[in-house]
Amino acid sequence: MSTWDPNIVVFACNWCSYAGADTAGVARLQHQPHFRMIRVMCSGRIQPGFVLRAFEKGADGVLVSGCHFGDCHYVFGNERAVEQFEKTRNVVRLLGLEEGRLRLEWISAAEGKRFAEVIDEFTDQVRALGPSPLAGERAGAAAHA
Amino acid sequence: MDAGRHPLIEIVTGAEVIGCEGEAGDFRVRIRQSPRYVRADRCVACGQCVDVCPQVGGNEFDVGLKARKAIYRPFPQSVPAAYVIDRAACLNKTMLMCENCVRACDVDAIDFDMRPAERELRVGSILVAVGFQEFDARRLGNYGYGRFPNVITSLELERMLNASGVTRGHVVRPSDRRTPRRIVFVQCVGARGEGGRPYCSRFCCMNAVKDSMLVRQHDPAVEEVTILYTDLRAFGKGYDDFVQRSREQASAKYVRGRPAKIERAAEDDHLVVFVEDTLGHRQERIPADLVVLSVAAAPNDGALELARILGIETDPYGFIARHDPAISAVESTRAGIFVCGSAVGPQVIPDCVAQASAAAARAQLFLADQRADERKAPVEALDVSGPPRVGVLVCHCGVNIAGVLDVEDLVRQAAALPDVVVARDHIFACSAAGQDELVELVREHKLNRVVIAACTPRTHEPVFRETCARIGLNPYLLEMVNVRDQCSWVHARQPAAAQEKARALIRMGAARARHLEPLQAGEMPMTRAALVVGGGIAGIQAATDLAAQGFPVTLVEKTDRLGGRLAAPNLTYLYPNLRPAAEVLERKIEVLRRSGARVLLNTEVDQIAGFVGNFEVCLRGNAQRPRAPAGGTRTPHDPAPQEPLKVGAIILAFGADLYDPTGEHGYGTLPNVVTSQDLERNGIAAGGVTSRIHEAESAIPKSAAFILCVGSRDPEGFTGCSRYCCATAIKQAMLLCRRGIDTTIFYRDIRTISTGAEEMYRQARGMGVLFVRIPPDEKPEVVGRERATAVRCFDELLGRRIEVPVDLVVLSVGMRPRQPDTDWFHDTLKASVGLDGFFLERHPELAPVETAVEGVLLAGTVQGPKDIVDTVAQASAAAAKASVYLAYDTVRLDPAVAVVDEDKCRGCGTCVEICQFRAPQLVENTAGAEPGRYGTSGEAGGYTAKINASLCKGCGTCASWCPSGAITARHFTDRQVHAMIDAACAVAAGAPPAEEERVGP
Repeated sequence: MSTWDPNIVVFACNWCSYAGADTAGVARLQHQPHFRMIRVMCSGRIQPGFVLRAFEKGADGVLVSGCHFGDCHYVFGNERAVEQFEKTRNVVRLLGLEEGRLRLEWISAAEGKRFAEVIDEFTDQVRALGPSPLAGERAGAAAHA
Repeated sequence: MDAGRHPLIEIVTGAEVIGCEGEAGDFRVRIRQSPRYVRADRCVACGQCVDVCPQVGGNEFDVGLKARKAIYRPFPQSVPAAYVIDRAACLNKTMLMCENCVRACDVDAIDFDMRPAERELRVGSILVAVGFQEFDARRLGNYGYGRFPNVITSLELERMLNASGVTRGHVVRPSDRRTPRRIVFVQCVGARGEGGRPYCSRFCCMNAVKDSMLVRQHDPAVEEVTILYTDLRAFGKGYDDFVQRSREQASAKYVRGRPAKIERAAEDDHLVVFVEDTLGHRQERIPADLVVLSVAAAPNDGALELARILGIETDPYGFIARHDPAISAVESTRAGIFVCGSAVGPQVIPDCVAQASAAAARAQLFLADQRADERKAPVEALDVSGPPRVGVLVCHCGVNIAGVLDVEDLVRQAAALPDVVVARDHIFACSAAGQDELVELVREHKLNRVVIAACTPRTHEPVFRETCARIGLNPYLLEMVNVRDQCSWVHARQPAAAQEKARALIRMGAARARHLEPLQAGEMPMTRAALVVGGGIAGIQAATDLAAQGFPVTLVEKTDRLGGRLAAPNLTYLYPNLRPAAEVLERKIEVLRRSGARVLLNTEVDQIAGFVGNFEVCLRGNAQRPRAPAGGTRTPHDPAPQEPLKVGAIILAFGADLYDPTGEHGYGTLPNVVTSQDLERNGIAAGGVTSRIHEAESAIPKSAAFILCVGSRDPEGFTGCSRYCCATAIKQAMLLCRRGIDTTIFYRDIRTISTGAEEMYRQARGMGVLFVRIPPDEKPEVVGRERATAVRCFDELLGRRIEVPVDLVVLSVGMRPRQPDTDWFHDTLKASVGLDGFFLERHPELAPVETAVEGVLLAGTVQGPKDIVDTVAQASAAAAKASVYLAYDTVRLDPAVAVVDEDKCRGCGTCVEICQFRAPQLVENTAGAEPGRYGTSGEAGGYTAKINASLCKGCGTCASWCPSGAITARHFTDRQVHAMIDAACAVAAGAPPAEEERVGP
């Protein structure tokens, strides 16, 4: 049985998705621990370069998350985030990475449960895809460690 | 939490008012505080005491659905974040003396020697915000609440739906904990006539619609949700669209009817709801696994006693009475005492928040001389230059972190990270001792970067930042790593993987910390004056409130008189108590005049430049403009100034237009079809109930019909509800009826939501006004060639077409955004408008009177349709928000904003396009300017972007969009984020962090 666990980078906005992860914490909603959270103020800040750098450095999956439409702390920042995300996805396609390694989700501050569910689901999805081809030998080495 | 942290707000919990003496401006209020037996100044809310407490009590917050211990936190976000002991459940009140909690507490917070304490507060004004309690559904025996376990209240459902609540978001039947397949919501339980309460509870319709959607989305096993309603009161901004979405998703079946009774089926334990479907004209027996009663809001038990102590009046139901229900938004019946939220009767959240700000504005009138300065004297800054010297403090949070993670290992790892000079642990980093340790570390090791691995920065970053600031360490040199809320709490079952994650998070935090930069909060001068645009009731109220606090206010009004829609002849009597509009308006204008506000009539805004604190406004007179209809209140006024006006904040209060129904229902062609506004103008109150034709014939009509929702709730046009028209039509119908005119009202839903309006509706029915419910997709037809003679429509309650002969047709017209003003101010100030065309509030619940543009506020119907009381509340709220800006002579600028590297900027304008807050602007380069590094921006004729720090909110979106990489989002720079990404990925591969770039000057 493979013991390989993916390494996932999660970008979350301060006001909704990061807060949603905290809400999951307050409710002790258990979920898989193989993601690393990076907080920014708004999902609009998450530029293609961040996501691509994560893949370049060997992340097996990247989750971008922000407020639901109409609930953005900065009114329309999340709509900008979608446009950035589309660009990012095109590059990820060009790189030949599986699309399932990249995901965009809206999670509100109250949706701790949804945060936990999204993490579990996405982790399983990335685990099924196996190590990122860009993770190179390091991931391979880790898998056999 | 903001309130809990505010230096000028003291929160006294467990307290009740036991006496009140004095008068407005100088009240002496005696309060009694019950002991919590836990010292809030010491408790760090770790929860270790709960684990060892052997006693169980009923959980009030989860409405008894879940038990709690005798020592508990009332709910997860409670402020203060301290535990409290329920003495009734605690063993220590007996001779057993368990004291488990005392032993478990590492910070000696438990104190059984606490006694009830009395104290006296000296205050200038008092705000009553005691809210409501649920109507006790047991009083309606036919619904079986209390007898059948599977009949629950909407609040019980709400606790279940909450992800951190009693069932973690699952909806279950209390009898067997199974998922219900069929759920029935019963509306108006204890409201609108039931249980002796005639009023409408306002929030329940939308709550049921929302819950039905949540339940269906959450659990596909729920097959059918039925909502039994009478009128669907989706009156708020965007509410009708929400209901429409629910209909499109078929999340609920809507049945109009009130159940006669609810019984348990004989064969098994499912319930049967007996109801007459008044639109389908059948008796129904709806089977249900779970019945949710949307219970009404009732006054709090203590409200009457509180009112007695404070010397204020209550209404017949026991809610706190407003001074005058037709016009007062927040005044109680006694000067200096204000009331907001559901203490005056049921409210929806946006209205509560607006009223709360409004009450704060009025309360300030009695405090103006005592404004305290919340800002502190600066501390000498530590020298943080030189290479990074990072200190790491890992918190145990009692067992919250240390119970899952190996803190020692985390400290060891942290100590070996690049530039980390010291790493320590502490049992509670946020306790006074923990903060002292942090201070010691900084001093001893000359730290210039600090990493705290503990709980979430969302709650505790301000605490640690304050500690940093106290010793002169720039607060932006602090990095928090969340190893509790997002690690030990949620990965407790996989401690090894959790440890790995915590190590990674600390590496990421330390990596980012190396790149943190000290940021200095800037200051901009604040022009302590305000402009109010529009002289209707909203503008009058907002200007009065600001001027009464001593701020210079200029109110500009386009026409030659104040009053807007309230001025004669637009309105004669106000609902619900038929107060003469002229009398109310005159008093308001008198108070405005005395407040010292400058009023400029026949004046328009010509140009606005600048930004918060520094707006420059050019005004122009428009004496040539057509005058407003005669008869209004004329006020002496100053001529428009020639010099540009300088103000710090702008309140938009220019109102809304009424829908023009020309071409609909014969309006414009048939002489006896008028609008509700025409009817008022024609002198409904003076007895002259006339249309053009009646005037010509000098006759009084024998019968009249009102058609509601003309220009509202229209899928082709304005989809929302105009809020004021139902009550207005009823008021007008009653006036006609009293004159012996047969009156019929054609409606879709009667939405009498304001104070006293539901009672008015019942009274109108009692006096013989006929109400005909019509379908939403078929407008009534007005019959007649020369004049309207009848109205034809489908009567939903009769289930057939009817024709009602009429002599007068009144169209109750809805509101529309006022044009061209809305477009002009939208273009000029860049304040957003919503899909409905009205100005968009920054957040419907959190910031209902603010726009996304700093310093620009909304009062009244510029933000969406509303009636007079709600408009007045909003106007005062806008004044309160404006006074927050005007309170100081400078405005503090958050330094964590975006900045432009002018050498890199090519002046493309992308940032200008995407920013919602108008912060970036393109500035033309002057000839002979130093050329930029990339050659383009310095050229004469070219442009360079500049970001105005007083407008920037620090979201960083422009930084991610700038094609030249010229914009830096401070505190979330590319370099800082990249460092975190690299550390996140390097750790996963089990490899040491890759190439270590030196950081430093």
